[in-house]
Parts: sequence; structure tokens; C-alpha cells
Amino acid sequence: MFSRRSLLAGATALGGASLLPTIAYAKGSVVAATYPGTWEDAYRGIVAPALKKKDDIDLELQPLFAVDQIAKAKAARGAPPFDAFVLDPGPRITGIEGGLFDKFDGKKLSNASKLPAGMIDDWGVCVNAQVVGIAYNPKKVPAPKGWKDLLTDPWVSRLGITGFQTTFGTVSLIEIAKVFGGSETNIDPALVELKKVLSKVAAVGQPAAMPSLFQQGQCDVMYTNTQTVATLKSKGVDIDFVKPETGAVAFFTTLHLAKGTTEAENAYKYCDIVAGKEVQEALTKPPYNFIPVNKDVALPDYLPMKSLDEMSSYVRHDWAKINPLRAGWIEKFNKEMAK
Amino acid sequence: MTSATAAFPETGGGRSGTFLKFAEWQLALPLALAFASIFLAPLLMLVGVSFFNDDKITELGFAQWVKFLGDPFSYKVVADTMLLGVKTMAATVLIGYPLALVYLDATPRLQKVLIFIIVMPLLLSVVVRTFAWIVVLGHEGVINQLFLSLGLISEPSRLLQTELGLVISLTQIEMPLMLLPLISVMSRLDPNMRDASAALGASRWRTLFTVIVPLSMPGLVAGCLLVFASSTTAFISQTVIGGVRLIYLPLLIWQQSLVVFNWPLAAVASLTLLVSVLSVVSALSYLGRRSSGYMHG
Repeated sequence: MFSRRSLLAGATALGGASLLPTIAYAKGSVVAATYPGTWEDAYRGIVAPALKKKDDIDLELQPLFAVDQIAKAKAARGAPPFDAFVLDPGPRITGIEGGLFDKFDGKKLSNASKLPAGMIDDWGVCVNAQVVGIAYNPKKVPAPKGWKDLLTDPWVSRLGITGFQTTFGTVSLIEIAKVFGGSETNIDPALVELKKVLSKVAAVGQPAAMPSLFQQGQCDVMYTNTQTVATLKSKGVDIDFVKPETGAVAFFTTLHLAKGTTEAENAYKYCDIVAGKEVQEALTKPPYNFIPVNKDVALPDYLPMKSLDEMSSYVRHDWAKINPLRAGWIEKFNKEMAK
Repeated sequence: MTSATAAFPETGGGRSGTFLKFAEWQLALPLALAFASIFLAPLLMLVGVSFFNDDKITELGFAQWVKFLGDPFSYKVVADTMLLGVKTMAATVLIGYPLALVYLDATPRLQKVLIFIIVMPLLLSVVVRTFAWIVVLGHEGVINQLFLSLGLISEPSRLLQTELGLVISLTQIEMPLMLLPLISVMSRLDPNMRDASAALGASRWRTLFTVIVPLSMPGLVAGCLLVFASSTTAFISQTVIGGVRLIYLPLLIWQQSLVVFNWPLAAVASLTLLVSVLSVVSALSYLGRRSSGYMHG
């Protein structure tokens, strides 16, 4: 029979013992936001062990979409809930304008020289590229040539679209607008043309639901990035990627240090390991299918380009111009597409 | 009578009565504090944020209220959201009530099986349940394949991303919230009531509508209340199954708060949703109280 005193002593000893491994092994940690899904799996499976092995730093991941990271950091008001962001160009500009990042010193990255010029600036480092184009099911529809085809038969009745909530959705709708006379700051032609064929469109969905809708045959054509295509293909889905005749869209995903982080040194080491050859090479392979930016890493075969230099000819967008207009575009999309 | 008052029988006022009230107040204090900090304080902040003109929350004013209430599209979204709740509620009643009657007449063993089936959807994540409905309702989904193979349709029907598909899926997802309070109330009904009604010459239908339905009204109202509140705020189901052409208030709130970071407008939409749902819930609660009065004379 245990007395209350002996039980308390035992519990204290157990509690103290549980702290021992932390005292003995942990030399530091860093909390990094990452996108849910493939990104989280990849960073947990590849980046975290690599960082632990090289720098003895524990990586804690917070799976959050880019917009959620910005919302959390804004709500935290000076007490960042994580040490590093991972963002697409639109939220990156929002973060810079909102003063959510610490200044970034590229000299602290040992892999800086392995990245093409312009990949590091005062606010962060590019760690992956994304290429957006058209995905289609080759067993159901012929390959479309470009954005204009999406709104004509036979593609339109099998088309799945999303709105302006995501980077890939926004840039795709801008490109559709361009072929109908619009521009980076004028998406009205896209909405006008979409409205004409809206009754035929197979699905107007949330971005996160699009891969499932494609997989289930709800739609057979959609705009998306090469990573989603490669991931679905690896699951046995009939899907191919088309680079539109007006050019595929390219943008970069960047890492940033949260304003006021107390783990800046560890966050730099985290950024450095993500940009390094070993991690970039591993992330390029299935099931992760990232597009690397490290010059020492070869590009995978399924990509529409042979080298990173080729990406300079791809369509790029100025998010400083797009961001202020996006709220209005979302409102317009809601009203034009609503049943 | 609460457990606290049961432990200290009421003596009709005086010092003992005061002590009882004080003890009850103390018992409720932790919960009251928790509610104040995690519910009331954020709610007050939400009200405060809605009275800012700009998304940087620097200038006080009514601009966002004027914008929201001055846009006819907002009224359409509010009406569609409430209508979705009413349709889901009606469908769960139509399917749930007969199921509760079956439960009532089932053997104890069958009742256990039925309860397991009823509670099962609650054991699954809402995300899993919602994505399962994509497989069922999709272009090449179970329903379309079945109807095609039976020759009932010549080409797949569009069920996903329609209001009908959304109501069907929400009916299944919200069904436990209707059935559990309903079964709880109906199980307590005296079986002699039905026998007495039959002995007095009432048909089965008359017994159902004049005895069982009125007596089960508190459970029915509680179920309706839960289903309505849950289905009008079911963001994941609404957006994944309904798509983005069916626009309900939760989608609007999400877009404004997390995509364009216009928190004042998101706060206005959130408060509109809160007031709209509370209005219907209050009306249902009033009905529940009325029916309770009917039950007890």
C-alpha cells in the first residue's frame, strides 16, 4: 500500500525524469509554419530529421495555410506564434506591408551561393518554385492548348474552377482575363466570359477540394500546379499537365523570420537546411514532388522546363499591384458566380 | 431541483436559504469565469472590431455595417443560410421521427444496435464525413453509378455542388443531433398512454398525432434547435459539398477574415450570423417552452 507521501515522491521523481532527455539532448528548437498536406508531410519527414542531424535543432511544425499564418501573426500583435513563415508571393507582400517579418540577412546562409541570383532579399529566401498551368484527364478530354480552350467545348463541361482565395487560382484567372483582353489589374473579362458558360462548368469549388473533385471524376480539367499533378499521378489518377500556349505561370515560395522571434539563429539554420542540396533533392522526389531552387539539384523529368533559367521566360505577376485589388475581386467572383 | 438544493433541503428562507444561494453561486463561479473569458470577452471584442471603418482597425465608424447592410447580396446570403438550416431541419425531422418511433418499439438488443448506428457519424471527423459525400454524390459517385446501371438515368446527374446534395449530406451529418434528444424524451413516455389511447378507440395514426407527437415535442424542438444551429454554421460541409457558388455566411466570414483580412467586415458578417441564428433558436425555444406547458397542463 502506498502512502500519500510516497506516492507524491514517486510522482515527482517520474516528472523530473521525464525532463532528463530534454536537458541531456536538446540544444535548441525552432517553430516553423508550413502548409498542411504534402508540405507538412515533407517537412516532417525530410527537413526535421536533417535539421536535427546537422544542427541538433528540434523542428516543431505548425501546419497553416499562408493566409492563416498572416492572420495568426497579425492577431498575435508582436508575440509571434512561430519563428518562421512559409509563404506565396501575395501573402508575402501582405506580411512585408504589415511589418510581420524581421529583416533577413542572406549572408547567414551557407547555401546562399547555391541559389540563383535574386532568390534572397531583405525579407526572406526562396526555397521552392511553383509552376501553374492546366491539368486534364487524358482519358476523358483532349489536351487543351491554352486558357481560352477551357471555356469552350469539350473542356468547359468538364471544367473545375476556383476563385481568388489562393495564389494559383488568382494567377490562373488573371491569365484567362488576359486572353480575353484583360490584364494583371483587370480581371473583369474573365468573369464576363466565365458567366457566359457558367451553367456548363462542372465544378466551382474550394481550392482544397479540387484534387478530390478531380480524383472522383467531378471535373476532368482544372488549373493547378505541377506538384498537385505529380501527387495525383502517383496515386494512379489519370492526369497530365499542359503548359498553356501563352506560357505557364511561375512563382516562388519563400521562408521568412517572424518579427520579434527569439530563435532567429535557429530559424536561419532551418532556412539554410531547406535551401541545401540534400534536402532539396529529397523534396523533389515522390511523393513530395517539389520544384527545387538549389542549382546543384536536377529538375524532375515531369516538369515543363529543363532548367531553372528557363523559368525566367514564364509568366510572373506583380503582387504589390494584385493584393490591393484582391478583396474586390473576391466580392465580384462571389456575386457573379452565386446561384 | 438541482443536486445542490437536493443536498441542502430548502427551509423557506432565512440564513440557511442565503447560504444555499451563496453555495450555488460559488459552485457556478468557475464556469461563469470560464464563459466570461473564453466566450463573452471575444464576443465583446467582435462587436468592438465591427465598428471600425478600415481593415487596419484604426478609424472608428459604421462604414462596414453600412457596406454590409446596404448590399442586397448580403440579404440574399443571410436568407440562403437560414433557408439551408430550415431545409436541413425539416429533412432530419421527416427521416428522424419515424426512426425514433422504430427505436421506441424495438427490442433492447435492437435498440443498442440502433443507438450505435445513430451515434456512429459523431465518431467520425466532420472532414472525413464530408469528403465521403463527395464519393457518394460525385459525377462518377455511388448514386450516379447505381442509377445509371439501373437505367433510371442516361447520363450522370449533378448532385454535388447543388443545394439538394448539400441538404442530403447535412441531413445525414446532423441526424444524431436530432435523434438523441428525441429518443431521450420519447423513451420516457409512459407506454400505458398508447394502450389507453387504443383502448379508447383511437387509431394508430390518431394516437401518433394526438398523444405521441405532442408529448415528444420538447425532444423534437431540442433536436430542431441543434440541427438548425449546426447546419447554418457548417462551414466545411457547405463549402466542400456545396462548392463556392452556394454562398452562405460562414464562407463570407472566412473570406473576409482569412483571405482579405478585412476583420471589421468579417465581424459584421459574424454578428449577423449570430443574431440570425439566435433569433430562430429563440423562437424554437419559445415553442419548446409552450409545448412543455402543454405536456404538464
